[in-house]
Amino acid sequence: MALAETDTPKMTKSTHPALTMGRMLWRDKFAFFSALFLILMVLCALCGPTFLEDIATKQNLRGRNAPPFDFSKAWVYWLGGDALGRPLLARIIVAAQNTLFVATGAVICSLTIGTTLGMIAGYSRKVTSQIIMRLADVIMAFPSLLLAVIVLYMLPPSVGNLIVVLTITRIPVYLRTARAEVLEVRGRMFVQAATVMGASTPRIVFRHILPVILPTLVTIATLDFALVVLVESSLSFLGIGIQPPEITWGLMVSQGRPYLTSAWWLSFWPGLVIILTTLSLNLLSNWMRTALDPVQRWRLEIARKKQ
Amino acid sequence: MTYRTGRLVAALLASTIAGQAFAQDVTVVLSEELNTVEPCMATQSNVGRVLLQNISETLTELVPGEGLQPRLATDWEDMGNGTWRFHLREGVSFSDGTAFDAEDVKFSLERNLSDKFVCETGAKYYGGMTLTTNVVDENTIEITSDPAQPILPLLMSTLAVLPSETDPDAFTDAPVGTGPYTFDEYARGQHIKLSARDDYWGEAPEVTSATYVFRSESAVRAAMVAAGEADIAPNIALQDATDKGTDYAYPNSETVYMRLDLSAAPLNDVRVRQALNYAVDKEAFVGTILADGTLLSTGMTPPSTIGYNHDLDPYPFDPDKAKGLLEAAQSDGVDVGAEITVIGRLENFANVVETMEALTSMWQDVGFNVKLQMVEVAEWNKYYSKPFPEDIGPTMVQAMHDNANGDPVFSMFNKYASDGVQSGTADPQLDEMITKATGASGDAREALWEEVFAYVHDDLVADVFLWHMVGMSRVNERLDFTPSIRTNSELQLSQISFK
Amino acid sequence: MQSFLGKRAVASAISLVGLIILVFFLSRLTGDPTDLYLPVDASLESRERFREINGLNDPLLIQFVHYMGDLLRFDFGDSIRRSEPALEAVLRGFGWTLQLAVITMSLVTVSAIVLGSLAAFHVGGIFDRIATFFSLIGASAPDFWVAIVAIVIFSVGLGWLPTSGTGTPWHWVLPVAVLFIRPFGLILQVVRGAMITALHAPYVKTARAKGVRNRPIIFVHALRNALLPVITVIGDQTTAILNGAVVVETIFGFPGIGKLMIDSILQRDFNVILAAIMVTAFAIFLLNLLIDILYAVLDPRIRY
Repeated sequence: MALAETDTPKMTKSTHPALTMGRMLWRDKFAFFSALFLILMVLCALCGPTFLEDIATKQNLRGRNAPPFDFSKAWVYWLGGDALGRPLLARIIVAAQNTLFVATGAVICSLTIGTTLGMIAGYSRKVTSQIIMRLADVIMAFPSLLLAVIVLYMLPPSVGNLIVVLTITRIPVYLRTARAEVLEVRGRMFVQAATVMGASTPRIVFRHILPVILPTLVTIATLDFALVVLVESSLSFLGIGIQPPEITWGLMVSQGRPYLTSAWWLSFWPGLVIILTTLSLNLLSNWMRTALDPVQRWRLEIARKKQ
Repeated sequence: MTYRTGRLVAALLASTIAGQAFAQDVTVVLSEELNTVEPCMATQSNVGRVLLQNISETLTELVPGEGLQPRLATDWEDMGNGTWRFHLREGVSFSDGTAFDAEDVKFSLERNLSDKFVCETGAKYYGGMTLTTNVVDENTIEITSDPAQPILPLLMSTLAVLPSETDPDAFTDAPVGTGPYTFDEYARGQHIKLSARDDYWGEAPEVTSATYVFRSESAVRAAMVAAGEADIAPNIALQDATDKGTDYAYPNSETVYMRLDLSAAPLNDVRVRQALNYAVDKEAFVGTILADGTLLSTGMTPPSTIGYNHDLDPYPFDPDKAKGLLEAAQSDGVDVGAEITVIGRLENFANVVETMEALTSMWQDVGFNVKLQMVEVAEWNKYYSKPFPEDIGPTMVQAMHDNANGDPVFSMFNKYASDGVQSGTADPQLDEMITKATGASGDAREALWEEVFAYVHDDLVADVFLWHMVGMSRVNERLDFTPSIRTNSELQLSQISFK
Repeated sequence: MQSFLGKRAVASAISLVGLIILVFFLSRLTGDPTDLYLPVDASLESRERFREINGLNDPLLIQFVHYMGDLLRFDFGDSIRRSEPALEAVLRGFGWTLQLAVITMSLVTVSAIVLGSLAAFHVGGIFDRIATFFSLIGASAPDFWVAIVAIVIFSVGLGWLPTSGTGTPWHWVLPVAVLFIRPFGLILQVVRGAMITALHAPYVKTARAKGVRNRPIIFVHALRNALLPVITVIGDQTTAILNGAVVVETIFGFPGIGKLMIDSILQRDFNVILAAIMVTAFAIFLLNLLIDILYAVLDPRIRY
C-alpha cells in the first residue's frame, strides 16, 4: 500500500485525473453503461416526483392491468398499467426517489457504523472487542421483523424511521466482516512496520488498514443495496413498512405479487429495475476496485494501449 | 441400481393403485394453519371448516334457502319467559362410544362460559345474556336466557356439542363429537386427517377420509388444485380464479363498509356523510378489483338475512351532488377541509389495498381532504374497537363484517348502539329501535329490523355503505360440490360427492 | 482455548439475558393481544376475563418476574394463540428450518467457493462475466417472485415437482432452490473479491517470484487467506435463513420457525416470540463461536 501511494501520481501526471478516469470508464463498456444507468436513476429520483406525480397517481379502474408494449398509448403506459390502471413507467420513475433514499441511507449508515465498530473491535483491547462483538450477537439474534414492528408501531411509518430499522439490522454483517479483515491485515508486514515506526493508532487504522479492507466491504454494500430494497418490500407487504399512497420499487413488487400469475408486468418491471440498479452498482464498483487499485490498474491501461 | 429402480417403480405402482382404492379421500387446502382444534373456537373460519358438522355437531343448523333445520335436536318449542325446550335425537353416540344425552348439551354450554379460558363461541354469541339449563330427562333439555332471546334456537346452531367427559378447564387437542367423522391425526404445521366413522346416526357420507393442509399464498392454493394435489381450496383471490370449469363464486356473508366516527367534525354533519357516499363509484369496483357478483350494500348484513330491507337503494355515484352537499355544509360553517384519516386493514380481503387506494382517490376527487393509512390487524383494532384513541381527529375505519347467522341481531348492537363495541354512533332513537327489534319475534321482528336498516341508511347515514362480498373457491372437477354462503364458516364433507 | 470457551459462554449468556429483557419489554409495547385473539364482536367483559386469565392486567415488572421465575425452571410458558407449550412449537419449527439451512448452505458454500475462485482467476474473462452477471441477478431477485414463478413452471406447468408442503425428498427441491439463490450470489461475489485481493497480495507474489508456478498451490494459499471474510458472510447468511426464511416457508407451506415467528409477532403471542428468539439466539451464538474458532484455525496469528 505504501507502494501504491508513491505510484499513483506518476501514472496520472500526463493528463487530468478526471479525464483519465473517464477514459478508463469508456474502456469498460459494462461499467460505462452502468454509470449511465445510475445517473439516469438519480435523475429520476431528483426530478420524477415533480413532473410525474399527478400522472402516476391517476387511477382508471376500468383500464386496470393494461398489458405492456401498447405503443398507441402515451409513453408512460408503455410498460403497462397497474391494478388501478395507473401507468407503471411513471410510477417506477416517481418511486425512484423514496427507494434510492431509503436504500442509500440505510446502506451508508450501516456501512459506516458497522465498519467503524468492526475496526475498533478488531484493533482494540479484548474487553472492548468483546463488548462490541456481543452487541453484534444481540442485534443478529434480534429478528429484524420484530424490530420493525416495534419501531414502526410506536413511531409513524416514515422514510426516516424505516432507514433506522434497516440500518440497525444490517450493521452486524459489516461489523463482523470489518473485524475479520482487520484481524487478518493487522498481522501483515506493512502494518507491523508502521507500528514499529511509531504511527498512531488512528493513523494505522485509517491510513493503512481501512484502504485494504474497504474493497470487500464495498462489495458487500453494493449487494446489500438490493437486499435492503427487498427487505423494505417485504416489510411493506407485512404492513410495517412504507404503505400506499407512498411508493417504492419494493412496495410495487409486493403489490404486484397477487397478480404474478395473471399480470406478470406489475411486479416484473419494478423487480427488473431493482436488479438493474444493483447490477450497475456492482459492475461499477468492480470497475472502481480495478481502477483505484494500482496493482490491477494495468488491466484498463493495457486495454487503452491495445487500441 | 436395478434394485433401487425396481423399488421406485414398485412404489410408483403402489401409489397409483392406492390412489384408486382411496379415491374417496379428499384434500382441502386452507389459507392458514389452525391455531387450535378446540370445538368452542369454531367461530374462526378455518377451525369451523374442519370441525363444524364434520366432527362436532350442533343442536340446530342454518341451511341456506331452507332456514333453521334440526340436527342434534329434532324439534323445539318456546315455553315462554325466555325458556326453550329442545327434544334431542335418540340413538346418537360420540365417536368415543359414549351416548349423547342432555347432560352433554348442558356441559358444552357451561364449558363455553368457563372462567378458565375464553371460548370464542361464548364470547361472540352469548355475551350480554345469562344462559341457564334444566335437564328434563335424558333426551330433553330446557335452556333459559335472560333477557329473553326470541332467536335462541338460532343461537344453538353455534354451539358445538362435546361429550361431558371432555376436560372442562382446558382446550382439547383431540376433539370428539357426534359428527360423521373422527379426528385422526393432527401433525402441527403439516396436516390434519379425518376419517368417516361406521356408527354415525345419519346417512353414511361418500367421502371416507379427508386431509387438510395449509398454504397462505392464494396462488399456491389455486395451483395445488390445478396440479391435482388438493381437491378444494375454499378461499382463493379473484385474480387466481381464472378457470371457469373449477372456480366458483359464492356470496360469502361478508360486508365491507367504512365505519365513521359521528362525534368528530366534520363527520358529525349528515351532508358530509352523504357526500362521502355519493362520491364513491361502487359499481366500478365490481368485476375489476372485486369479483363479479359483488353486491352494492345498503346495510350491515347480507341480503339473505331476515329483516334485510330490500326497498333501500344504494347511494348512486354522483360526484356533482357530493360537491354540492359539501358546499352547502361549508356555507353553514362546517370545516369540510379538515383532514380525515382513512384507516385500512391490510390482508383483510384480497385486493384490499387497491380498494382503499381507489376509494381514497374518489373522495379526493370531490374535494375531501383524506389521508390513507394501511395498518396491520393489531394496530387496526386500536381504531376499530372501543375505547377509540383520542386526539386523532375525524376518522373513517374500513372494516369487513361477517354475519352468516341469518339474523341482524348478531351485527346491529355492536355496530350501531351507543354502547356497541365498534359503534361510531350514539343515537338514543336508534338504541331504542335495536332493543325493540331484538326482543320481537316472527313478522314483527322482520318489520322492525327493516326499519332499523332504513333509519341507519337513509336518515342517519351512519356509514359509507360499500359492498356485500363474494368469495372464490376452486374445486377439483372430480368432485360434485358447490360452495355456498356457509362455505365461509364451515365445509361439510358429507355434502361432497364424486362425479 | 478452554478459558476462551468459558469466557465466551459467560459473555453469550449475558447477551442472551440482555436480549430476553429487551424483547420482553419492547414486544409488549406493541399492543395487547386480547383484541387479536377474541372475535371483534366479543363483549367487553369477556375481553376483561381474557386479560385476567392470561395475566395481562399485572404490571409489566410483575409479569417479567413471573416469566423469569418460570424460565429458571425451564418453563417457557404456553402459547396464547396455539394452546400448546411455546417451546414445543418453537423446537418443532426450528428443526425444520435447521434442516433447510444446513442443506441450503452446504450447497451454497461448495458451489460459491469453487465458482467464485474460478471467476477470480481470470478477472474480466468470459467465465467471470457470466458468473458475476448471474450471481448478481440471483442476489437481487425478489424471492417470492422466484418462488411463485418456480411453482407455476415446475409444478403446475411441467408437473415435475410438488407445489408445496412436506413429505418426500422432492418436496425439498423448490424451497432449497429458492433459498439457494441469494446467498449463492452474495457469497460468490465475496469469494471473487477476496480471491482477487489475495491473489495480488505480496506473499502470493513472493511465492510466484520464488518460482512457485504450481497453480493449485497458489490457489490453496490464496484461498486460505480469502476465507476469513467469506466465512463471516456464510455465517451471516446462515443466520439470515435461521432467522428469516419467512417468505419461502410461507409460500411453500413449510412449517419452519420463520413462519412461526412472524405469525407470533403479528399476533402478539409473546411467549412464542421469546422462546423462538432464545432458541435461534442460542443457535446463532454457537454459530458465531464456531466461526471464531475457524478463524483461529485458518489463521494461526489470531489467538484468543
